[in-house]
Amino acid sequence: MKALQLNAYGEFKDSLTINEVSKPAVQPNDLLIEVKAAAINPIDKLIVLGYLKDMIPVPMPSTVGYDVSGVVVEKGAEVSNFEIGDLVYARVPQEQMGTIAEYVAVTSAVVAKKAGNISFEEAASIPLAGLTALQSLEAVGMKANDKVLIHAGSGGVGSLAIQYAKAKGAYVYTTTSTNNVDWVKELGADEVIDYKTKDYKAIVKNADIVFDTLGDTYTTEAFEVIKEGGKVVSVVGPMDEDAAKMFGIPNYQLPEQLAKAIASKKASYKYVFMHPNAEHLTQLKAMMEDEKIKPIVDTVYPFSESIEAFNHLATGRAKGKIVIKIA
Amino acid sequence: MEELINKIKRITELSAEAEEYFYSIGTKKSVQKGDILIRHGEIVKKNFYVLSGCLRSYCIDKNGKEHTLQFAIKEWWISDYIAINTNELGTLNVDCLMDSTIVEFNAQKLNEIHALYPAFGVFQRISLERHMVSLHKRILNQLQLTALERYELFLEQYPDIEKNTPNYHIASYLGITQQSLSRLRVEKAKN
Repeated sequence: MKALQLNAYGEFKDSLTINEVSKPAVQPNDLLIEVKAAAINPIDKLIVLGYLKDMIPVPMPSTVGYDVSGVVVEKGAEVSNFEIGDLVYARVPQEQMGTIAEYVAVTSAVVAKKAGNISFEEAASIPLAGLTALQSLEAVGMKANDKVLIHAGSGGVGSLAIQYAKAKGAYVYTTTSTNNVDWVKELGADEVIDYKTKDYKAIVKNADIVFDTLGDTYTTEAFEVIKEGGKVVSVVGPMDEDAAKMFGIPNYQLPEQLAKAIASKKASYKYVFMHPNAEHLTQLKAMMEDEKIKPIVDTVYPFSESIEAFNHLATGRAKGKIVIKIA
Repeated sequence: MEELINKIKRITELSAEAEEYFYSIGTKKSVQKGDILIRHGEIVKKNFYVLSGCLRSYCIDKNGKEHTLQFAIKEWWISDYIAINTNELGTLNVDCLMDSTIVEFNAQKLNEIHALYPAFGVFQRISLERHMVSLHKRILNQLQLTALERYELFLEQYPDIEKNTPNYHIASYLGITQQSLSRLRVEKAKN
């Protein structure tokens, strides 16, 4: 089968090639998925460039990609909840990375049925970003009527987080650039703040939750706009103590400035590390079938133009997701 | 099963042997919401008669989207009739939209039953006519009625489906988008 493989860390055009490889072996709990579409995410870019080589070392060559949609064509002996022919989608676990290929073997524990009203390309665009949005907002117990600030509303995660938060009845503020204001508003955000012309800190006051998708100074600044006792959840800021424990880092302490900001608002800070989860994907499936969440795909590239897809991703200007159509 | 036999007996006379044979090729079953009873790409060996609940037949296009062909409620038949009658592999799926009770027939034996017991021919012809009328009406409605009129007819025909079914099944059956269906509902609520 054909697979997009990383041969050595580096620039996309030098490091990625479509190679002929053997079909992955199917373990007793695995599904073999005939891949119809795969989406790419910022993490894929970071892996190829080698920025994550210490945290997530990958053997060379390795097939890349985490998000997938397709059809079950084979199943392991232990799998009982899927049938051959099921249309599915998933974010594959690290050890099964390699969705930009004609076939991928995935543990059935992370796979869910695809919504019937969306295309394979749309389905592939959801898992990583959708799971990140859902798990982050659930980690801080978001509920109806909460005032939530979601940064970068036009991004892969932000655009789904807005829709998820609105579906759960929250009041949503979001930030984006001038060109994206209109379409982000269409996603349902109550107040869209053009960060090029306005200071969000002057507009958002006493938020219950800030969802930080930007990191850097935004993580600490979040505490300026939350109410006392509010919650900040981040997927890019510093780790919290629980995450440090999970990664086996002893005696971890939050950066001083962040700790001070948290204390000043008697607030809480949570770092969320997205994990593959079939049940969460099933929740998202139902929300897509009810049209509470609409997948947002910027561009679909044919398999043969995968490197173009990575170049597009690297511009950071995509509205929604970049998808590679495999078959 | 008795309900179905009694219905046939109202139309035609059945010998005890014919009745027994009919029982032997069908099995009453309870099926759960979400069960897929027929999958495209396979040889279609089953034909279902619905006693209660609702089944749906649909195709999946090359992009992975579903398109609903038929809903089958109490006293309706459903299967992939293209596959059964052409001996080709199935192109449709049949699934359960709600917990249902059905009679599952051996499709080939049911198709050929009139050769063994001609009395069934009358019932089969009447069933086919009913099916044809329904399909023709569906095509004509699609050609000449507005989306709102089609939706109103749908509500009349399948009063229970709307409450139990995701919008996209209904939108796809009516040949409209989910957004259009939402607009129709608002429009209808106003009237």
